[in-house]
Amino acid sequence: MNTKTAVRLTRQLRHPLPLQRTTIISRRQVVPSSTSSYHSYDHPTPPPYSDTAKSILSASLNHIPEHGFTRKSLSLGAKDAGYLSISTNLFPQGAFDLILYYLATSRLKLQDSVHGRDGHEQQWASGKIDVKERVKTLVFDRLRFNKESGVIKRWPEALAVMAQPTYVPQSFAELSRLADDIYFLAGDTSVDTTWYTKRASLAAIYAAAEVYQTQDQSAQNADTRVFVDSRFKELESAQTGVSSVAEWVGYTTHSFINVLRSKGAQI
Amino acid sequence: MNSISISRSLRRLERLQRLHSTTLSQQYRCFSCSIRNQHETTKPPTSSSQSANYTHFGFETVAENLKQGKVAEVFSSVASSYDTMNDLMSLGIHRLWKDHFVRSLDPGINPILFSAPTSSPSTSSPAASSPSTPQGLNILDIAGGTGDVAFRMLDYASRIHNDSTTRVTVADINPEMLAAGRKRAASSPYSRANRLSFVEANAETLTTVPSSSVDLYTVAFGIRNFTNIPKALDEAYRVLKPGGVFACLEFSKVNNEAFNWAYKRWSFSAIPIIGQLVAGDRDSYQYLVESIERFPDQATFARMIQNAGFELPAKVGELGGGYEDLSGGIACIHKGVKPLEDTK
Repeated sequence: MNTKTAVRLTRQLRHPLPLQRTTIISRRQVVPSSTSSYHSYDHPTPPPYSDTAKSILSASLNHIPEHGFTRKSLSLGAKDAGYLSISTNLFPQGAFDLILYYLATSRLKLQDSVHGRDGHEQQWASGKIDVKERVKTLVFDRLRFNKESGVIKRWPEALAVMAQPTYVPQSFAELSRLADDIYFLAGDTSVDTTWYTKRASLAAIYAAAEVYQTQDQSAQNADTRVFVDSRFKELESAQTGVSSVAEWVGYTTHSFINVLRSKGAQI
Repeated sequence: MNSISISRSLRRLERLQRLHSTTLSQQYRCFSCSIRNQHETTKPPTSSSQSANYTHFGFETVAENLKQGKVAEVFSSVASSYDTMNDLMSLGIHRLWKDHFVRSLDPGINPILFSAPTSSPSTSSPAASSPSTPQGLNILDIAGGTGDVAFRMLDYASRIHNDSTTRVTVADINPEMLAAGRKRAASSPYSRANRLSFVEANAETLTTVPSSSVDLYTVAFGIRNFTNIPKALDEAYRVLKPGGVFACLEFSKVNNEAFNWAYKRWSFSAIPIIGQLVAGDRDSYQYLVESIERFPDQATFARMIQNAGFELPAKVGELGGGYEDLSGGIACIHKGVKPLEDTK
């Protein structure tokens, strides 16, 4: 009983319920914000976009289904936001800034799908759903955003821009941030070496799923779901394979050393 | 005999003194002397009246009301050979910088893209017919003199955006530089189409330009010669429409130490000599390299633009950006966007 409450307390600390989040938001004004590469409630990262940039970029998103990830969409968005088409000089990387904005806002929307009203949080509170299932749910959520916003038809253009050598590092950084956010929101608290492999494999699965989604003609992206499911299954079997190999290597090394010791070697 | 020798030695002494005084009055401005002068003359002379403000003219310190005249003198004397000299001094790279500057600005409005969807067909009043005919950009090119950047912008708007309504007003304080620009404009199609005009104006008091009337304010290799840069930035803020863009191409500080050493050797040793040989004017080009040295570095100038009320285009997660180095920082592009709400 006592241990059970203790466990719940730690979980609440890491994944606060909406009630507790209000206190954190009020603390935000006191604590100076700093940029950090880890998740922290005490030091929230400052918003990367100014109000002007945000208003132009969010207005531009509405033009993507028609004009794609281009400067055209940006200029039309600037017009809608009350700016001039020349105001797009605010974005030195042009179309790529629009892509980054879409990626960042979609990633942040995942927070709402967990913590927001009718979020997954209530469902997950029972503790019956494990981290793997939660991660899968969040990946589906993220893929659904692509479909809902009508961006997926134009996504190959964005992939082409992101593959340009100058933009590759930023694109990978954004992908790794997505994988990290998904594991964080799913409530993964492990701190062993699988921290990296988990995120790397999730990033690979997500990137592949996104490419698959661009060609998916099925209703509600059912085929993409099947694709993601099978990739996760493969990952699981690969993980069990790796762990059995590791176990075998460890056992063999131990026995070999013991054989040497029995022969009188000073090990 | 004796008296003759005395008078001769006196005369010799006198001649020596005269020679000495002339060499003293005429400053010898080689690289090492220039660096020494820079350190010596940073504080204004105290003997003059207190009310006058001082600014720098190269490494010299002059009264504010004198700088304008001195700069005018420099550019009047170099106007005719200005473009040739630019090619020689920058080894032709200034063309690449200007091309990149204009390309990054992306001036011009595509008439097809911006006419049809924005005007709804139901409106039939004569007042509503104006948005259906697309209005090009109103560009103000300050210190545009020979029109180097102005022609590039008009070419870009016409070729890339098929925009035949964007117009450029070239403003320069110097009539000789404007005359050189007018001569070039006469052979282009733009001045006949009323898309290019030349105005003699001071960037600090643009009295002829109404407030909130300009879409794009450009100044290429000019802002360093202004007497009062913050005042010119305020004036730029005034004439720009909300959402309008301030763009500046200017010499700046080289980031790499080794490259900086080579660049300083080139600019302080070679450029005045080229100026002497080609333009027949060493002092003007000496001023040029000294004024580059005195201009604030990238971050400082970006902060000045921000202080004038502009919003800087920062890369995501990279606070305090807002500029783009060219050729390792020899030149630099600064931009600022006037926000919709007045932040000042």
